[in-house]
Amino acid sequence: MSQKTFALLAWILVLGAILIVVVLVSLSLGSVNIPLGRIVEVIFQRKGSVEHSIIFDLRMSRILLGFAVGSSLGLSGVILQGMFRNPLVEPYTLGISGGAALGVCLNIVLGVSKIGGGLSLPLSGFLGALGVILMVYFLSARKTFRIQGLLLTGVMISFIASSLIMLIMAVSRVEELQGIIFWIMGSLEESNWFLIITMLLVSLAGLLVAYLFCFDLNALALGEEEARHLGINVERTKRMLFILASLLTGCSVSVAGIIGFVGLAIPYFIRLLTGIDYRFLLIGSFLAGGAFLILCDTLARTVISPLELPVGVITGIIGGSVFVYFLHTGPQQLFRKT
Amino acid sequence: MRAVCLWSKEWINKVRDESRVKASMPLRQVLFLSVVFCLFGAPLYSQDYPRRIISLGPAVTEGLYLLGAEERMIANTVYCQTPQGREEKEKIGTVIRVSLERIVYLKSDLILATSLTDRAQLAALKDLKLNVVEIPTARNFQEVCLNFLELGRLIGKDDQAIKIIQQAKDEVDFIRGQTKGLAKPRVMVQIGAKPLFVATREYAVNDFVELSGGINITADLKRGIYSREEALKQNPDYIIITTMGLAGAAEKESWQRYTALDAVKNNRIYIIDSEKLCAPTPLSFVSTLREMVKTLHPDAE
Repeated sequence: MSQKTFALLAWILVLGAILIVVVLVSLSLGSVNIPLGRIVEVIFQRKGSVEHSIIFDLRMSRILLGFAVGSSLGLSGVILQGMFRNPLVEPYTLGISGGAALGVCLNIVLGVSKIGGGLSLPLSGFLGALGVILMVYFLSARKTFRIQGLLLTGVMISFIASSLIMLIMAVSRVEELQGIIFWIMGSLEESNWFLIITMLLVSLAGLLVAYLFCFDLNALALGEEEARHLGINVERTKRMLFILASLLTGCSVSVAGIIGFVGLAIPYFIRLLTGIDYRFLLIGSFLAGGAFLILCDTLARTVISPLELPVGVITGIIGGSVFVYFLHTGPQQLFRKT
Repeated sequence: MRAVCLWSKEWINKVRDESRVKASMPLRQVLFLSVVFCLFGAPLYSQDYPRRIISLGPAVTEGLYLLGAEERMIANTVYCQTPQGREEKEKIGTVIRVSLERIVYLKSDLILATSLTDRAQLAALKDLKLNVVEIPTARNFQEVCLNFLELGRLIGKDDQAIKIIQQAKDEVDFIRGQTKGLAKPRVMVQIGAKPLFVATREYAVNDFVELSGGINITADLKRGIYSREEALKQNPDYIIITTMGLAGAAEKESWQRYTALDAVKNNRIYIIDSEKLCAPTPLSFVSTLREMVKTLHPDAE
């Protein structure tokens, strides 16, 4: 094993360790603080105690969903940035979040959620996201899969979706408006275990499939022409990666709403650690995205406890500030071109 | 159905008659029943009704204070007011988002949610097998009374709730009687600016206008978004602006530019504190209604 590979593996282990620490801290902190030592005790306690209920019914579900959503967004971001060879692309650039939000708005305004129950909101969000994915895909991939066209179509569909959302908000009632705004703010508070497990499986499957393309992504980082010379089927790879990243984003948005920044900045920071080697970049973004979102959610729950901030506020403020700080004072290789 | 019953005199009379029947029971029988109740019923009675109530809305909190159940309320939200001299309760969040962890920790046996409580959190509370009851936002006096009655029923204070409702209803009837013969001014109630938003029949303020003998010119609209041109065309006699934070005074100024409006000519643009219009209890409804009557009929006694 070369020294470089060893260093990269060490980074992955460090990220894994950070994830475990963040999970333990998140289990312990909240509007009711449970000391770390007590958590082990509570885990083996019989069901029914207050602390057991807080840890298993409330915190564990948030942590698992935070991990699944954060890792999916991190993964989706790193794939899209690699594919577009543009560090400004993020999972929401392609209008997928706009489509999901539009689906949820229509659901709330038409009253489907009152009849359809808890699963109808994520389902309509996913259908909205899927609609946009298909639209962007077929509009930009009639003959060849044009990257520029894809990006522009995505941005435009995003604008159309946000205008339609504003239209719906302008004519909706106060209670509906509240539902729409809360959904758009994003939250990891989900009590439906079916959704949480599904999201977790989707993120793991996403990592597995993305990993099959890690060498193709490494080749694409050199440029499309070079990748073609290396024997990569560039068209097919781009299509597959677009669909994979879109599905990961669509699922995340439909379950947790729009949580910004994770998919944009996590790939940046991981690139600083691992360089442009997608064998490690994919796993690194996956782990770091999960850990980052869990950490932000813990802060959102505790900063002004018992009041709770929307998690997107924390991801934006913390992530954005650290990002700007590094941009001006940190090592320049962080922002070198992919 | 129940709403109709509550409004009708028969319903109130029925409740009164029932209590009269109880009062006319022979003394010996009453004493016997009281002893039986003290021996067997009282412990059950005290266990039956919730002892650890969490209120998730200001209206519910005010209702609980009015019904004298403050000792049983263990927590409420940051928007809930504490009457002067009373002990502050633990705050577990805002009207829309609360700390689920804190609610579980407090081992509440009744959580009183409102229409504004986040739907996802409401579902989560129900999933946690907690006793959650939603008290919807009242849109008129009848609904204020129904909500209050429901609150009384939930905490075992039905009699007290009925008494207060009856008192409020009598006062409302009295006010209606007084304003019956007076001229009916045409009123527009503005509840939002940029875009101009007015109160339709869906909003509680509509009932204040109608019960105080006014006509809400925008009552029949489907949505509250309104154009200033239409407002000029309709030319209301009164414009009532709810405070909306600090924007009330600025809005009043902006209306005063339209000198063709009767409301401007006669200086009849008023700002009303939006908190008063929320009317949490039947009694606070009556006190706001009195103010509205004074505004719309300044010359009447």
